[in-house]
Amino acid sequence: MRAAVVLLLLALCVIHHDMWWWGEAEPLVFGFIPIGLAWHVLISLAAGAVWWLASRFCWPADLDQLDAE
Amino acid sequence: MTLGILLGYVALLLFVTVFSARFLKRSSGDYFLASRGIGSFMLLMSIFGTTMTAFALVGSTGRSFSKGIGVYGLMASWSAIIHSACFFLIGARVWALGKKHGYVTQLGFFRDRFRSDGLVLCLFPVMVSFVLIYILMGVVGSGRVIEALTPETFAEADAKTAVVVQELPAKFAIPGSWKDRLSYDAATKTLTLTGSIHPKRRGELFKMAGGPPTLAWKQTVGQLIQKAPRGAVPYAVGMGFICLVVLLYVFFGGMRATAWANTLQTIVFIVMGVIAFLVITSKLGGAAEATQKLLGSPMADRATRGGGQLHKLQFLTYCFIPLSVGMFPHLFQHWLTAKKGSSFKLTVWAHPLCIAVTWVPCILVGIWAAAELPATTNVNSVLGIMVAKHSNEVLSGLIGAGILAAIMSSMDSQFLCLGSLFTNDIVVRYGKRFGLGDVSDRSKVMIGRAFVLVMVLVAFLIGLAEPGGVFPMGVWCFTGFASLFPIVFAAIYWRRANKQGAIAAVITVAALWLYFLKDALKGEFLIGGMMPVTIVIGASTLALVVVTLVTPPPPRDLVDKFFPKRVDQT
Repeated sequence: MRAAVVLLLLALCVIHHDMWWWGEAEPLVFGFIPIGLAWHVLISLAAGAVWWLASRFCWPADLDQLDAE
Repeated sequence: MTLGILLGYVALLLFVTVFSARFLKRSSGDYFLASRGIGSFMLLMSIFGTTMTAFALVGSTGRSFSKGIGVYGLMASWSAIIHSACFFLIGARVWALGKKHGYVTQLGFFRDRFRSDGLVLCLFPVMVSFVLIYILMGVVGSGRVIEALTPETFAEADAKTAVVVQELPAKFAIPGSWKDRLSYDAATKTLTLTGSIHPKRRGELFKMAGGPPTLAWKQTVGQLIQKAPRGAVPYAVGMGFICLVVLLYVFFGGMRATAWANTLQTIVFIVMGVIAFLVITSKLGGAAEATQKLLGSPMADRATRGGGQLHKLQFLTYCFIPLSVGMFPHLFQHWLTAKKGSSFKLTVWAHPLCIAVTWVPCILVGIWAAAELPATTNVNSVLGIMVAKHSNEVLSGLIGAGILAAIMSSMDSQFLCLGSLFTNDIVVRYGKRFGLGDVSDRSKVMIGRAFVLVMVLVAFLIGLAEPGGVFPMGVWCFTGFASLFPIVFAAIYWRRANKQGAIAAVITVAALWLYFLKDALKGEFLIGGMMPVTIVIGASTLALVVVTLVTPPPPRDLVDKFFPKRVDQT
């Protein structure tokens, strides 16, 4: 899982540089959000999801042990 | 009314912090770290509130007004990825080390990890300078926001403003409600206003034309509004008032009050941001209508990143700026307050979502404003103008409270951190050499307060000079913090890292930061199309690695202390 999370985070960093919509406003998502903005909102939400995976499945064991002490 | 709401909010804030102070234990550990007892939700609110300054509301709206939607990608979505990485990789680790070894400050951690007083003496002035600039941004921002939100608070009935009318509209008439404030002398063709005026009254003056206002009449009204006193709370008074409020609750409640205040303030600025968005959207005829209006205007580029608004390399290299959260000393102190390591989990995954909720409405309002306001509008005033234009005084007051909440929720942590750095890393450490003897717990708190008072006074006095360019100042401050990030990363993850390498990195950052300072404060400053942080962080990493490798490794016992065998490796 740790490798999967690292790969997902790297993928987010790569797709963050979305040159393909650099000069495009349309299509408008939900009829009002320019596509370039919608893409980056999606990246924020995806970051939340990937970090949830990280905190759920990759949390350092020694921190859990310290909590238990 | 607006001022009344702002004062009401401040009263509520002081009530909450005084209430939290009832739980204050009379020890420096509780004053500086809330006895390491902050749970998941309050940790999230404290950390989010501390990382989001006035930039989050005022700055994001203003920058998207001038630079378009790319501002979200630059600041918000990079932060969503990188901030959480810092909390996961640095914050939680620092908490564990702090709990094991009893650290109170960031510099205390560095002194122990690198076993070096020299490093601390190098870092202290650098950190204090960076934090002072950060505080200055908040101080200046609060003065400007209060001034912008409170026109006609004072009638200023003695003030008279006169403008010469070039061409009086044929059907010009002064309505009854204005007769005691406005007069026209036909002989001298002079229009005279008595007292202060809210810029929002522009529309009422236009209507006096008795039909569609001519260009000449619009210019006359513009001149009158520009020349007349606004009757607002003066900039210096607003600035001083906010400093005083934050000082009060930090002094009397310490970290515990700061955490409670941040929780309240973060909720307030998120909710008010959303309310401002909904009201403005509704007044613009709906979100779809507002976007279509923008696309049909000459400012349609704002819905894209094209048209030379952003450089592609600038967009890419902005990723280094959010690394600054890894080195904010005030955030470091918040990490140490966590009750458990698992308290960080909520912050790690919810922080990106909080960023989206706060930033998306502001970016949309900013680009919509580009189709509504003249391009020459001061970018820091865009949100205020949109709120004033599309809402009433009550809402202006509530949204103003939200903006001040965003500012104060960063300032309080910075105040507390400065006091804690000075007391614990300088006075307690070196006090004996200057005949101070052992410093009692009570004295530690008092010395911390005195140092904060001096620093706030310095920020206030600099603020009185109304330094321009709050935004470039902020970006340059973050550049400094981000460029020091390799030191904290190496301290936690590189066994070979030693004090010589860390000191070399600090000196490199300080030298380059000062070298580029003049250019950076002029406005947008790029080197070869890249953010300058790329050069500074590259140089500091190089200095750290090269100097570390050519100097002796750290002692074995020091390495064993910080890199014991991990549980999951046994």
